[in-house]
Amino acid sequence: MKCEHIEKWLSDRLDKTLSEERIKALDAHLEKCVSCRAYAESIEKIDKEAERLAKPDVSPVFWERFADRLKANLESIQQQKKERKPRALKWSWAWSGAALLVVVAVSLTLLFSPKKLPQEIYVFSLENSLARISQELGEDSELEEMFNSILVESIDESLEDSGWRERPDFLENFLIWEDLTEEEMKFIESEVRKDIQS
Amino acid sequence: MNEDMEDRSDSRLVKQAIQGNVDAFAELARRCQERIYYTLLSLTKNQQDASDLAQEAFMQAYKSLKRFKQKSSFYTWIYRIAVNLTLNFLKKKQREERREVLDESHSVGQETEDSSFSPEKRSMKKELSEKLQHAIDSLPLPYRASFTLVVFQGLTHGEAARILGCSENTVSWRMHKARKMLQVSLKPYLEGK
Repeated sequence: MKCEHIEKWLSDRLDKTLSEERIKALDAHLEKCVSCRAYAESIEKIDKEAERLAKPDVSPVFWERFADRLKANLESIQQQKKERKPRALKWSWAWSGAALLVVVAVSLTLLFSPKKLPQEIYVFSLENSLARISQELGEDSELEEMFNSILVESIDESLEDSGWRERPDFLENFLIWEDLTEEEMKFIESEVRKDIQS
Repeated sequence: MNEDMEDRSDSRLVKQAIQGNVDAFAELARRCQERIYYTLLSLTKNQQDASDLAQEAFMQAYKSLKRFKQKSSFYTWIYRIAVNLTLNFLKKKQREERREVLDESHSVGQETEDSSFSPEKRSMKKELSEKLQHAIDSLPLPYRASFTLVVFQGLTHGEAARILGCSENTVSWRMHKARKMLQVSLKPYLEGK
């Protein structure tokens, strides 16, 4: 057994995720390996010290103010909700569809950008388009930021047009298709196909 | 907050909050605000940022409550929103700081100055704590987030994975790598004890 693997096991044991079988093998290795024993002691010490790192004192007044501020914010949101009754689009993940249409628009732009071969034959595939976007975004943080802002602006416009100004909750996770089921993906792909054909 | 509210289960409070009961949501927030705040503080190292981000997370959660299907606990759900918001905030901040460095207008931060204090002036114990804090702060964000959730907050790999939106295996590897990086940077202090 390589010491590198043992180090990973030592970490897992600290987090109580190592199996009994591996714990036995680990202990057997530690008995004869000085450097792994030293490493084990080091990371145990690090964990203990980390747990001891003092939490800054937070006064009860801080929590009172925090709660007051939160309540004021919540009441303001509640008031806005009352003022803006939704007229349409109660279908909860219709927003996902709207967002994905924008995704596809961006992907088409990426696919037909001047850098690409001019004679490339385009066959639409939602999965490929999304994979392509992920690949492009993964390489460029500014592009990711731009993509996200376009997406959010588009969603905001759709929401305003529909009269529903409440923002959906996937804003913290823009790559929303990662959470969609296969059926939802197929449905959206078929909808997007119709949209492209029209 | 009245006593009756304190006795209610999370799921009942969620239902009431969905119906527009602000007090019910405030009680839900009260139950997890400390853990969330301290986690965000561990990540941001700034009390104002941690407080603002916690407020923002609770507000986003309140707006999106109808979409919370209660497949996980409310705590895990809000925790995920809060951590994601904070990670996005820190990524943006890092990009801005990099730009500032390029503009040569970046001033040396308090943290950097602190880390250069003479070791002779401090006890070994205190020095290790300070170096450890600095080493944790210097971990790349995904590793720091995993370490914070697992070691500071005592979450399991599974819980941390759900919050960070990755697999348990990824958390396990990040924990291993984080510990390895900490061990390497703290080696002189660990051996000197």
